[in-house]
Amino acid sequence: MTARVSPKERIGRFLSGQPTDFVPCVPLILNHSARVLGVKVSRYATDGETMGRANVAAYRRYGQDLITIFTDTCIVAEAMGTTLHFPDDDVARVKTPVVAEPGDAAKLRRVDVHTAGRLPVYLGAIRHCVSEVGDEVFVSCCIPAPFSNAAALRGTATLARDLYKNPGLAHALLEKSLEVINDMSEAIAQAGGIPVLVDPVASGSVLSRKTFEEFAMPYLKRALGKIKSLGMVPILHICGKTASIVDLMAKTGAAALSLDQIELADAVERTGGAVCLMGTVRPAETLLGGTPETVRQEAARCLASGKRNPGGFILSSGCEVPIETPPANVDALIAAARA
Amino acid sequence: MDEIGAVSAAKEALAAGIDPYVAITGGLSKGMAIVSDKYETGVYFVPEILLCADAMYAAIGVLRPHLKLEKQAGSLPVIIGVIEGDIHDIGKNIVKLMLDAAGLTVHDLGNDVAVSAFVEKARELQSGIIAVSTLMSTTMAGMGRLIEALKNEGLRDSFKVMIGGGPLSASFARKIGADAYGANAMEGVRIATAWQEALR
Repeated sequence: MTARVSPKERIGRFLSGQPTDFVPCVPLILNHSARVLGVKVSRYATDGETMGRANVAAYRRYGQDLITIFTDTCIVAEAMGTTLHFPDDDVARVKTPVVAEPGDAAKLRRVDVHTAGRLPVYLGAIRHCVSEVGDEVFVSCCIPAPFSNAAALRGTATLARDLYKNPGLAHALLEKSLEVINDMSEAIAQAGGIPVLVDPVASGSVLSRKTFEEFAMPYLKRALGKIKSLGMVPILHICGKTASIVDLMAKTGAAALSLDQIELADAVERTGGAVCLMGTVRPAETLLGGTPETVRQEAARCLASGKRNPGGFILSSGCEVPIETPPANVDALIAAARA
Repeated sequence: MDEIGAVSAAKEALAAGIDPYVAITGGLSKGMAIVSDKYETGVYFVPEILLCADAMYAAIGVLRPHLKLEKQAGSLPVIIGVIEGDIHDIGKNIVKLMLDAAGLTVHDLGNDVAVSAFVEKARELQSGIIAVSTLMSTTMAGMGRLIEALKNEGLRDSFKVMIGGGPLSASFARKIGADAYGANAMEGVRIATAWQEALR
């Protein structure tokens, strides 16, 4: 028996290709952290210290292998001028996109990520986590990739129409998004965190493979390239269905893909084992609605398929652990990896 | 996907003396059936569907003023909306589009719809189908509350309820006592039209 391995050591060994004691387990514990600390989501989402304390509390409660700071996918667009609605106890959402008219694109600025909107909330949360528990666990922070950010600048349905009716505008919004996202990645790294890109709107549930190739992939490559240049391991999360694009995702430069609605065995085949895969325990069906026993069963299925991936496997939830998930179900997921 | 083309085709049909009802059922609906097919087989995705919807509604806008209104006898109206707390309405709009194209009467309550608003509409229509969606796990519970509210109002037996959206499942539908779960837009439309047929 060796001494207890810290999550930081486990992930560090895993990422450098060395054998680990257990399969790393990283449920996407995001806004659920607010529940662990006992604060409302609106407070969690707007105050860096609260967000930091909540993530530390969740880590101390669950002991997952990576802290994943996040609250909503609109935070960068908000910093660029989109206004949001903040429900009292749920995740913020777009109220008025900043680029309501094509001409509004000229208003977009390369904002200072250290001061704009709630971006300092993320940076403060990272610093808090790093100072509290940074010696035993890595702290990551999930930010939207350019396509999802452009959707929050323009409105998802409007951007979807632009792809055909005004592709030039779409590309202009993507370029502007990339600039601010890359600055944010740098600021996250400076604060001691690992930037993780999330691109839910570029999901295979929404876009065709061809559209993904044209409008999402080039910008993902550049944003992930930036993260790599910062000396970090580039991680990409796309939820929803991804069978139609997962091979392309593996060619974006991401070292690890976090996946949702896809059979892991299928994902292993389609990516040829080239990258590490993360997933895919069903968030609502199993984590929110299931029991520790059903969580264990599904985790076992994921582990069985994931372990066959030559690129490695991290047991995770397919998407965000729902806010009201029973803590015993999160415990069961982590215990399944360490059995 | 061509809005301008659809509008000019609708105008040509009127100019050629084609009955606007025939233009819709024989033209637009057939076109939308092709769109549905392409969506289901993974050729069309959300952007393509939205453009087709724009084209169809624009053409209907041209034809509608010339329609001699005939109420379809014995057709079940559909009340559709995104449950309160959620504004993700692209999926709901696709289902609505397909239901429209299939010739059903659709009452769209929009997004972030309070349980009381569904109930109020149900009381007004007295019987039919309620289709409710969400993409968020935090708002799923509102669907269970809707079913309870329909029961309390004595309306549950007069309505078929179907649910759809990202985090949902057939087992969740059973758990809250909904009549059906549509895994995607086309399945939702098939369920609604089957209920429609069963009524005849």
